[in-house]
Amino acid sequence: MRLLEYQGKELFRKYGIPVPNSQVIRDPAETGPALKIVGLPAVIKAQVLAGGRGKAGGVAVVNSEEEAMREASRILNLRIGGERPSELLVEQASTHSGEMYLSITLDRSRRSFVLIATRSGGIEVESTTGQTVEPIPITGLPQAAAESVASRIGLSGKSKEDFVRIAVDLERLLREQECELAEINPLAIRSDGSLLALDSKVILDDNALFRHPEFSQLLPEDPLEGEAAREGFAFVRLDGNIAVVGNGAGLVLSTLDLVADAGGRPACFLDLGGGSQQSRVEAALRLVKRLPSAERILVNIFGGITRTTDVAAGLKNVVNEGPMQPVYARISGAEEEEAKKLLADTPVKLYSTAPEAVKAVVSAA
Amino acid sequence: MILPEQDEPIIVQGITGKYGALHTKLMLQYGTNVAAGVTPGKLGETVEGVPVYDKVSRAVEKTGARSSIIFVPAPYFYPAVEEAILAGVKLVVAITEHVPIRDELKMVALANAHGVTVVGPNTPGVIIPARRVKMGIMPAPSFRPGKIALFSRSGTLMYEIANQLSTNGFGQSVALGIGGDPINGTTMIEYFDWIRTRDDVDAVVAVGEIGGDSEERLASYITDTKFGKPVFAYVAGRAAPKEKRMGHAGAIIYGNYGTAESKISAYRAAGVQVAMTPTEIPTLVRKTLG
Repeated sequence: MRLLEYQGKELFRKYGIPVPNSQVIRDPAETGPALKIVGLPAVIKAQVLAGGRGKAGGVAVVNSEEEAMREASRILNLRIGGERPSELLVEQASTHSGEMYLSITLDRSRRSFVLIATRSGGIEVESTTGQTVEPIPITGLPQAAAESVASRIGLSGKSKEDFVRIAVDLERLLREQECELAEINPLAIRSDGSLLALDSKVILDDNALFRHPEFSQLLPEDPLEGEAAREGFAFVRLDGNIAVVGNGAGLVLSTLDLVADAGGRPACFLDLGGGSQQSRVEAALRLVKRLPSAERILVNIFGGITRTTDVAAGLKNVVNEGPMQPVYARISGAEEEEAKKLLADTPVKLYSTAPEAVKAVVSAA
Repeated sequence: MILPEQDEPIIVQGITGKYGALHTKLMLQYGTNVAAGVTPGKLGETVEGVPVYDKVSRAVEKTGARSSIIFVPAPYFYPAVEEAILAGVKLVVAITEHVPIRDELKMVALANAHGVTVVGPNTPGVIIPARRVKMGIMPAPSFRPGKIALFSRSGTLMYEIANQLSTNGFGQSVALGIGGDPINGTTMIEYFDWIRTRDDVDAVVAVGEIGGDSEERLASYITDTKFGKPVFAYVAGRAAPKEKRMGHAGAIIYGNYGTAESKISAYRAAGVQVAMTPTEIPTLVRKTLG
């Protein structure tokens, strides 16, 4: 789960990582009181997860309260990568002379977390050194390793001191809060050499959330995604019109590819999970039934531990509950003949192979 | 790395759970020697006639097992894998899904220190049809004895592709799920290293998906080490959006890192034959192996 910038910065504060003074607002009317705390000039930033926030006009530097109010209402009405910001961060504008990049991320091949630091841009940079990567032991980032990175990217004095402290604190945050990624970009260098985190990107390990119940209140945005998560389905909303449902993440992923190759556009990815019972199949179909963008439903099942007869019975029940989108199903594997018999007197269209079902669902437009 | 021989005893951790009990039955039906189960506090019970102990060390002592398959839920996974490793088990098949990354990293460090092979987590397991060894949850009828090594990041795709290979006359010497998480106990390259000189393997099928760079690294390995056997690959997720986790924890594209295009072009540059759909795999295999 990815945190919004201000949520990440709250964690930064808690771990002693310096961030500018800021206030979160949800209404332009809150701009005045926020500015009293933050001061002018200030930066107003849309709190969205989508990339390209700056390019979309979601960040503005303001020099007066009137300008701040105006920009706040403008940004609250933006759509940034399909997201409408519901919160804004009003932050003290920083004057700085250089910028760095610092992140701690999972290196899947090394099977360890790594610290990545780059010194780039800024007017004070004597030599532009490339990206420095430092593997982090499972027990934590040793001070000496952080010092070595600081030297390798050419930091000294106050900047080096700050960098070492921030790197060690950021790693402690990532380790204790069980993040997949903790990134500061940019990490500003001010004229006195001190460092300040101007942005945050923090991604939590979803699988570790059971150990961090405090994050549960931050959970999904999308009501259907939330419902799917509670039911234990992997569900991702996509921008097309064909709902794709199957058993097994890889199988559903490959079905999306087949649909796209045939010229269709998937409306969602829904993985029923292994060993699905009839009730799960029903819950999944009732969910995609309510997905407004789904004009047709494609079901791709390779039965094994998941019994094809359970799938067919579930499908039949939901189809018989009342009008719904046309369903195209490929059901293959053990007991498939019985499964097909169960569905014979329903409007579900049956196919023997995935490519056949895909061709039919795509060309039905 | 070791895999069990025919009739070699294995242990099931989490045997009294619904899932553990069901698959114990299916593994026994296949002909696998499930010799003991472990569930803390359930000493003296039996599941499908298999005795249950409350410690792995006790089960190892009683059966001489070198291998254990783990079904316990994610919050109890790390203590279970640690217990298996410290009890002297040499192969762990970790079926458990949703294991936190930090627990997986600790698991890798501990397994490496003790010379233990971990398959998974989040894997359907491993099946060796010729030995009637099934340490996993895969549907047995899809798999036949033969000389293809099948390694997959996805469970159902492994079943589907195995089924198509089997129906086309290409059985498997081994079929193994490497796991759907960002961290795998054993990597694709390590499995390739293990089969590269085995004469019961004529060709390898690698089923991958978006996320990470294990396919790219495998491609370099194939080129750099002059891997001698034909390799066939499929990569799921060409149509997947960026920054969205597609079911598996490991199936996510960040920026241009982890895209299907990158994996496919790396494979092609290494001389790997890439299928565009799962159904194309047997066709490609037939063209090469006849």
